[in-house]
Amino acid sequence: MSMRSNFLTALGAMAVSGSVLADGLVVDKIYHPYVDALEKELEYRALAQDTQPGKRNLAQVHQLSLGTAIGDRLFAEVYVVGAKNRASGFEIEAWEAEVKWQLTQQGEFGLDWGLLFEYEDERKLDAHEFSVALIAEKELGRFSATANLFVINEWGKDVVNELETVFSMQTRYRGNAAFEPGLEIYAGQDSRGIGPVLQGSIITGSRKSLHWEAGVIFGLGQSSPDNTWRFLLEYEF
Amino acid sequence: MKRFRSLLFPMLIATSARAAAPELTLVIRDHLFFPSTLEVPAGQKVRILIDNQDPTPEEFESYPLNREKVIPGNTKTVVFIGPLEPGEYPFFGEFYPKTAQGKVVVK
Repeated sequence: MSMRSNFLTALGAMAVSGSVLADGLVVDKIYHPYVDALEKELEYRALAQDTQPGKRNLAQVHQLSLGTAIGDRLFAEVYVVGAKNRASGFEIEAWEAEVKWQLTQQGEFGLDWGLLFEYEDERKLDAHEFSVALIAEKELGRFSATANLFVINEWGKDVVNELETVFSMQTRYRGNAAFEPGLEIYAGQDSRGIGPVLQGSIITGSRKSLHWEAGVIFGLGQSSPDNTWRFLLEYEF
Repeated sequence: MKRFRSLLFPMLIATSARAAAPELTLVIRDHLFFPSTLEVPAGQKVRILIDNQDPTPEEFESYPLNREKVIPGNTKTVVFIGPLEPGEYPFFGEFYPKTAQGKVVVK
């Protein structure tokens, strides 16, 4: 979600129509409903989307964030967001703040629940975004299924003022902590996608670990981008 | 009122089902788990009360159990596990991994 507006800016520089801009990107990280008390994290996230097939002009969004747990139920994170494409080069586009709230203990009920609140502000544009997401996760033996349902309010002079919803889902197989295969599905107003994602975690010391995610989401239908590549690297300490 | 009852009834069932879950206690003392082996029944959800008697925090962590939970010093917390297949599921304390080790044995 956080990358959506910035992707819009990147795409805007490529003279894509406004209606496409508003719903051009649904692929992002999938959030899990858990908070690990005392944890801090440094995260880098990148997306590359093939908006003009055959023209080698990938629109890119890069995010860097710092987060910390607040107690054992809340996790707060602040982001700096940059976007890059051939026309405009790389620019810092926005900042973002988010708070995740773990609602239930893991395994206590049939589903584990959480909420996510995000606010994003564009640096050069009068464009703002506030999102609330319901997060649910279910463990089925070695498989985990996670769903995120976002309700997003966008407003400002430089953005289409509207309310949007985005649904995303991830299933992953927990066979090896360092290498977990999975499948992700995304659905927004005008965009749908599905694709494989690999992820893993490596313990690097006492209470220190590296988590990575990489995948490609293939667009479904004519209005969806053909391919969206996503990458995430997170240092937890 | 009928609607309220119809909502309340499943909640009560859920509560009683939760109360029926077997409960075990795991103590952390001197950066060790006591007992170091927990026996739990297969196919059932189990409630583990973790009592950290050390003044320092510890984290109950297990990839096979898919659980990570920090327990601040001199506090108690609850971790739910299962239903699980029979087998052994190791866990460790992430703050003191060399000493704080144990396993859940599911029978």
